[in-house]
Amino acid sequence: MTISLAPFANNWFFLLKAVWITVVISLSSMLLGFAIGIVVGSLRTYGGKWVDRILGFYVDTMRAIPLLVVLIWIYFAFPLAIGISVNVMTAAIAALGIHLGAYVAETIRAGLTSVRRGQMSAALALGMSRMQAVRTVILPQALIRMLPSLGSLLIFAIKDSAIASVIAVPELLRQTQVVAGKTFRPFELYTGAMLIYFLLCFPVARSVDRLYRRISFLGSS
Amino acid sequence: MNLHWDVVWDNLPRLLAGAWMTIWLSVVTMALSIPGGLVLAFMRLSPLSLVSKPATAFVEFFRATPLILQIYWVYYVLPAYFDVQMSQIATAIVGLTCNISAFNSETFRSGIVSIRKGQWSAGRALGMTDIQILWHIILPQAALRVLPALATTWVSLFKDTSLVSIISVPELSYVGLKIRSETYRILEVLTAMAVLYWLMGYPQAKMVDWIHRRFKVVE
Repeated sequence: MTISLAPFANNWFFLLKAVWITVVISLSSMLLGFAIGIVVGSLRTYGGKWVDRILGFYVDTMRAIPLLVVLIWIYFAFPLAIGISVNVMTAAIAALGIHLGAYVAETIRAGLTSVRRGQMSAALALGMSRMQAVRTVILPQALIRMLPSLGSLLIFAIKDSAIASVIAVPELLRQTQVVAGKTFRPFELYTGAMLIYFLLCFPVARSVDRLYRRISFLGSS
Repeated sequence: MNLHWDVVWDNLPRLLAGAWMTIWLSVVTMALSIPGGLVLAFMRLSPLSLVSKPATAFVEFFRATPLILQIYWVYYVLPAYFDVQMSQIATAIVGLTCNISAFNSETFRSGIVSIRKGQWSAGRALGMTDIQILWHIILPQAALRVLPALATTWVSLFKDTSLVSIISVPELSYVGLKIRSETYRILEVLTAMAVLYWLMGYPQAKMVDWIHRRFKVVE
């Protein structure tokens, strides 16, 4: 077996663009997922029984259905249902974000409920509104406690962006397949892609770990 | 818009066969990944770096790369470069097992590490060997502690089996996509597929919540 690096040398720009798309999809779906997660997680914790039930249904549905199925449904079936076509990037970011959002919501909810009740009472006693109390007292502590779980969700966002290759989003895995098919060098290309994903994920995992070790004391009450 | 749900009813036996394959794949993978994860966890806890380093590398690598890529890698690279011939199903099981073993090993390792040092000292004071302590004292306690995390991994495994559809393993997603391209009833077939996943996955998600509540560690 000989290993040839020519496929990388000849297609480096093509693959670099693919890495960029992977980064864009991961970051956008993280933003969307965290926005959904923070809203849904807080509403489930403080919004009363019915809000909790309805949003709980969304969360549990996303926990039950594979991301691949959500993605395919949003890209192929949803446009038929509403009669508008959806572009691949939008579909990918929407599916990844909606799926991730459920997991973020669960983490946020667990974090918020882990902050002791006394904190809320103390904040209310100081004349804060519930909203203020959550924003300035509860959430900052909860976010720090949730950091390890949120960090692993960031890694999942990067890894799951590879599933977008199934609907032909020109991200790293998809373009790796294209080059592998053209050059007949699957070993080098798929191994290279693995290393690139590893280089994208591992530093994120490590820096979240390090950050948590630095600031975890702020979250203890 | 006309919906033809009869397409779904006509193809229901095929979809159910796919769902059965999904369940089967999950069970087989988990059955292999529990011993796999245990071996990796013990290797990582070993004081010999010759044993612990490779296990750490394996676990970190499989946790930091996409499963879908791992499946492609096993599918395209093993037969072509290492002369390993496997059926699609075997390929799927190998890919899934490596991935889930890596996740399980972290679960087991944290379970074993979470048992307080005093328990080891107590065992030694009673004159037990390390193996005896591990077997009679540490593992029984750790087993209950890892149950919630293991249950979470089970549900993500169940969902992740959908990814082996890319190498044509006839599980639910593959069957669904196939029926879609045969009948062009995209909305109906894809919705039915999602509903089937939901019917199987929703109770599991609820079950995981119950296990988390029931076996929460209270020190």
